[in-house]
Amino acid sequence: MRVLVVEDEKDLADTLVRALTEEGFAIDLATDGDEGLFKIADVAYDAAVLDVMLPVMDGWTLLENARARGIRTPVLMLTARDTVEDRVRGLNLGADDYLVKPFALRELVARLHALVRRAYGSPVPRIAVGDLVIDTGARRVQRNGVTIELTAREYAVLELLARSRGRLVTRTRLCQSLYNEDIDITSNVVDVHIAALRKKIGADVIRTRRGEGYIIEE
Amino acid sequence: MLRSLRATLLIWYTFVLVILIVVFASTVTYQYWQSLIQQVDADLVDATSVLVSGLTPDIDGTFDLNVPDSFRRSVPDSGDETYYAVWNPRGELVDQSEPLATPRSMPAPGVATRLGRREVVVDVAGRARILAGRQLDSTYAAVRTLGLGLASSGALVLALALIGGFFLAGRALAPVARISRTAGAMIGGDLDARIPVKGTASELEQVARALNEAFDRLSVAVDRQRQFTADASHELRTPLATLRAEFEWALTRPRSADEYKASIEKGQRAVERMSELADRLLTLVSPGGRPDMGRSALNLATVVSASVDLLRPLAVSHSVTLEATYADAPISGVRNLLADAISNLLKNAIEYNRPGGTVSIAMANEPGWVVTTIRDTGIGISAEDLSRIFERFYRVDRSRTRGGAGLGLAIVKSVIEDHGGSVTCSSTPDVGTEFQVRLPRVAG
Repeated sequence: MRVLVVEDEKDLADTLVRALTEEGFAIDLATDGDEGLFKIADVAYDAAVLDVMLPVMDGWTLLENARARGIRTPVLMLTARDTVEDRVRGLNLGADDYLVKPFALRELVARLHALVRRAYGSPVPRIAVGDLVIDTGARRVQRNGVTIELTAREYAVLELLARSRGRLVTRTRLCQSLYNEDIDITSNVVDVHIAALRKKIGADVIRTRRGEGYIIEE
Repeated sequence: MLRSLRATLLIWYTFVLVILIVVFASTVTYQYWQSLIQQVDADLVDATSVLVSGLTPDIDGTFDLNVPDSFRRSVPDSGDETYYAVWNPRGELVDQSEPLATPRSMPAPGVATRLGRREVVVDVAGRARILAGRQLDSTYAAVRTLGLGLASSGALVLALALIGGFFLAGRALAPVARISRTAGAMIGGDLDARIPVKGTASELEQVARALNEAFDRLSVAVDRQRQFTADASHELRTPLATLRAEFEWALTRPRSADEYKASIEKGQRAVERMSELADRLLTLVSPGGRPDMGRSALNLATVVSASVDLLRPLAVSHSVTLEATYADAPISGVRNLLADAISNLLKNAIEYNRPGGTVSIAMANEPGWVVTTIRDTGIGISAEDLSRIFERFYRVDRSRTRGGAGLGLAIVKSVIEDHGGSVTCSSTPDVGTEFQVRLPRVAG
């Protein structure tokens, strides 16, 4: 899952990027409001984490501009002020959730997962594909009660395909979702992950649409 | 409190009114009585002169009495008949019209009221003593009727006045009710409550207006305090968030020694930032004008030059030229605090300057004052921001283009004012900003 973090406080931004990357998110960082707005308009992020106090353009203005441009990316606001007015203001401008600083990392991760689930149209954290069960909360895949060990990227590919069941997912989309902007990769990296996945979960789950992408049929 | 004030007013009102009515009624009654009795007296004097005309002297010194007809005719409308009695010089009763009414012994001449009768006694040329008297029953009845009438109408007036007074007191005290309601709401935490004020100039409206003004000030003070607390906690939250997230990350799974080291270093930075913030907040909230703060006689020039030297590297890195002229400036103050304040102003002047710009520091002595001027050629401050830059947590760029909690200038102001001085700022956007610090000069 590709997530944009807009945070100007260098130390906090650094921690967030590191911790969220470890949780399997592909993170892009923007350190001011302008850069944040440019990036959120440029890439189809699965979610964005937005600090309120930002240089150049504050988080509220960024959000307002993004929503005015029709960008539907789920947004979680990080506010240092916990007055009701501040929280309500963010939500009314189009934020989907908020967290008050200081927050627990686990909570941030859980809320991001919840945001993404809802964005894909299902609040249920478990997705069943044939006899595979994908627990998006625990980020775990099981077949008949036996856990299948997947790498973070393999899991991310499977989760995205499972969430988009019945719909084609292009190589580019998979790429965008797996890697942040810092890594320049060719789309056959995706093929490598798919091949590895098929070895672990069976060859019949993920279908290849030649020249287009991949799909998990309903 | 309200009820008792109303009751007190009414009690006094009643008291005064009763006295007025009683005095009025008794005066009227007494005057009436006087006029009646004067009439009776006049009648009786008339009666005696009629009787005198009926006296005929005898040779032996006695006399005959023929009561003239006119005496009989002089019966008053009231129906109380006039009676008479006549004594000879030896004090013997000669004649009387009504034995029951006649006194047993001969009375002295004069006018007197006796046993409900009015009697006039006169001597006639040393030969006889004549008494004319009249029952006062009808007079008493007339006075009683008047008294009763006055009493009942007085009671009616009193009752009406009390009812009116009750309502008037209520109306007059209505603002008190409003005031106490509003004060109650304020105590209950509704700081926006205000007493409804009408346009009149009554004393209570003045009280209401004065109280409203006090409430305004109070709520502004409370708002400021609340804002300050909110801002302060806001400033602490970002380093806290870093600390919490970083340590949580470090503890989720085993890390390498380098990672732990980096985490702890980051934590240390956050803690340092919070300590610095706490220090600055303390500088702001603790009143600095304390005489026990360790003020000493010092030369402000040494403080300023030390600050300039300290900030020269920063100026170089911003490609800003520092120009300074010093003047001996004996003052009394706390060196560290003053150095902080001057450095703060210099730092701003450097950081908000343009590359290639200049910061000039000039010191001058005026009678009684030492004036230090710090002028930059930077971006300037808009008129709107200018009025607020000394407020705590106020940032010219709300979104924090540059670091800092927005406490610097507030601290400068509080330090300088604690030293009995003042700091002012004037600015032209895109041309530059000038800060002027005035401190009281110490003689000698």
